[in-house]
Amino acid sequence: MYEVLEDFAQENGLRQTSTSLKLLIGLSSILLSVSSPAPVAPLLVAASMSTVILALARIPVRFYARLLLIPVSFAVMSIAVVLFITAGGAVLLEVPGLPLAITADGVNLAVLLLARVFGGMCSLYFIALTTPMTEVFDILRRLRVPTVFIDLAMLTYRFIFILIEEAGQIYRSQVMRLGYGRFRESVQSFGMLSGALFLRTWESGEALVLAMDARCYDGRLCIPGDTRPVSCFALAAALLYIGVVFGASLCTGGLVLV
Amino acid sequence: MHIMEGFLPSPWWQVWFLVSLPFIVIGLYQVNKLVQEKREALPLLAVAGAFVFVLSSLKLPSFNGSCSHPTGTGLGAVLFGPCIAAVLGLIVLVFQAVFLAHGGITTLGANVFSMGIAGPAVAYLIYKVGIRAGANTYATVFCAAALADLATYVVTSVQLALAFPGTAGFLGAFSAFAAIFAVTQVPLAIVEGAVIALVFKYIVQLKPEILTRLNLLPESTIRKLQEAAA
Repeated sequence: MYEVLEDFAQENGLRQTSTSLKLLIGLSSILLSVSSPAPVAPLLVAASMSTVILALARIPVRFYARLLLIPVSFAVMSIAVVLFITAGGAVLLEVPGLPLAITADGVNLAVLLLARVFGGMCSLYFIALTTPMTEVFDILRRLRVPTVFIDLAMLTYRFIFILIEEAGQIYRSQVMRLGYGRFRESVQSFGMLSGALFLRTWESGEALVLAMDARCYDGRLCIPGDTRPVSCFALAAALLYIGVVFGASLCTGGLVLV
Repeated sequence: MHIMEGFLPSPWWQVWFLVSLPFIVIGLYQVNKLVQEKREALPLLAVAGAFVFVLSSLKLPSFNGSCSHPTGTGLGAVLFGPCIAAVLGLIVLVFQAVFLAHGGITTLGANVFSMGIAGPAVAYLIYKVGIRAGANTYATVFCAAALADLATYVVTSVQLALAFPGTAGFLGAFSAFAAIFAVTQVPLAIVEGAVIALVFKYIVQLKPEILTRLNLLPESTIRKLQEAAA
């Protein structure tokens, strides 16, 4: 029911590849898609990232296809607005009876946005599906992000999985007792679920304080980091890929930095 | 109301990162101070963050059949104050982007501002004013959570309208974005207000010491609320 991407990050084909290399590829792909002035480079990013996810990381095709549908609802609504409020160029379609028209400039902008969102989302999925969060924490530590922030993020991360499990149990037992039959009942049940969840959360937080104190917690959490060497071949391939996308972005109208 | 990866062009995504940065820095400073004073604060903050994440990953019942997610940050702001809620919001949004594909990395700044800063600040203000004025506690919590949700959605519309003013200008674009999101967001805000008020009711009935320890409600009010329920 609650399939999170993290499950795949723990056991995918690229699990043993260096974390910093994966982050480098993912983040630079995102930046290149966002700053590209034409839809070619983002679409190239989307295609190559999807290929890597499916072929190298071996994520099931059906699962990945379902993931790609998540951003669609927001994209459709917002891009529809952009489509109608941008005027200029030839009028392609007019809505009879309303002052609404779709013009060439509007279509161009909408296509560009769709390509950027697509490229960005595919790169984000690349990071999410291949890199476990625990390894990102290690990178953050080496980047000297404040310790209190990393500790807070790690504890939050740990609790998310415990709470999702509990929320699922409460939800299923409510559904079995017809808790979501009518709208009024749904709100009532959802409030009950959230309230119970909050109280249980708080209690497990207090229990964690005790448990950590019993194990000599002194305000600092330590995790051993392991460094994996980056192979020259992988690094060269990554740089080549970034170079090609950058080149495609430059060839199709220059890079928009500001 | 997450803005998704790749949607905000330069320079707007950088601008929203810069706008959010000072709040995060103040929040981190406050968290640091809190943790040094009371060590038990760190796990409690963490479970609050996890609670917000789980709440926002559940689908909320909505009038018009569409499923939407509660933001949940209003509760965090009422409990710990707006700046700490901003830090929790940042952590939750990063996890949402990476685990659930809601939001993104470049749009993180804009999302943190709308969901982690503007919404919680509204919730916090309304809660403080309402409690001080002696208004009905549950009505205050309802308003705080519902208006925090609405503030989030208005800020998101502003962010999108600034980035894509089109030929209609900022105001025209803003009303277009606001109108199209109102379909899902206004019912959602009302439902979320009701849900958070119910959560508050459970806390008052079952574990009121949380509220007294964080100085959120005086004991006399809690006793009165418990008597009214009994």
